[in-house]
Amino acid sequence: MSADLGLLAFVSLTVLTLVPAILVVSTRNLVHAGFWMLPCLIGVAGFYALLEAHFFVVVQVLVYIGAILVLIMFALMLTRDVMDPKERQTNAAGVWAGGVCGGGLLATAHILFHHTWRASSLRPEPAHEQTVALGTALVTRYALPFEAVSVLLLAALIGAIVLAKSLRPVAPPPGCDGEVRRA
Amino acid sequence: MIGLPHYLLVGSALFGIGAFGALTRRNAIAVLLSVELMLNAANLNFLAFWRFLTPTAMEPHVGVLVGLAVAAAEAAIGLAIVLSIYREFGTVNLDKIAELKG
Repeated sequence: MSADLGLLAFVSLTVLTLVPAILVVSTRNLVHAGFWMLPCLIGVAGFYALLEAHFFVVVQVLVYIGAILVLIMFALMLTRDVMDPKERQTNAAGVWAGGVCGGGLLATAHILFHHTWRASSLRPEPAHEQTVALGTALVTRYALPFEAVSVLLLAALIGAIVLAKSLRPVAPPPGCDGEVRRA
Repeated sequence: MIGLPHYLLVGSALFGIGAFGALTRRNAIAVLLSVELMLNAANLNFLAFWRFLTPTAMEPHVGVLVGLAVAAAEAAIGLAIVLSIYREFGTVNLDKIAELKG
């Protein structure tokens, strides 16, 4: 890829990622905020492609857009009616939160551009070899982290079911004098 | 030429935007969206370091995969907690859920 084309891709992906990200945290209508997540996540997937991490482009689209975003949209729509889009959606901490985040960003940028990075001249392996290497690593050397993540996901699955289940006993139907029959 | 600091700057900006949202949003689900932005920024930085410093190593990929799984688990548990809060209090406005405030 020529340098100009790479620069163009980088700049357009930056716009595609950061502008929707700002809208996600600033727009008042929460369903719109959820939909603005979509171009932002696609932009991050584009960055992964630019970084030649091909496997994670697919994983980003499948897991973030296909699963997490859909889950969040469901939750937004289930709780939507309580928050009016015309109402203020931010708390009183806006000024100092902006100061902390902006100041931190400026400090980070200063460090980033004044540090000498020892960049490697090697290039990543082609896509299929990367995927094979990752799959092999996950069942040999990194089998323990892989299994730990499986246990974490199982715990999250069970925990989500327990938490989302109604804990209150169901009220007896009218006409039934307090005695709840069990099927 | 685009190098490592540029990618890291985009990642930091994404993290900063997410942190700002997590600190200022009043709706619990919007806070979860902001946390997802921050997790994305972390993964982006991970892969930028991998590409420019150790492009043949496998460790960053395993790290990103673990990060993705943690993000998925966080979203599922977070939304389950938000839904059960909604059933209990009838709102997901974080300013109104202040039972534990002394």
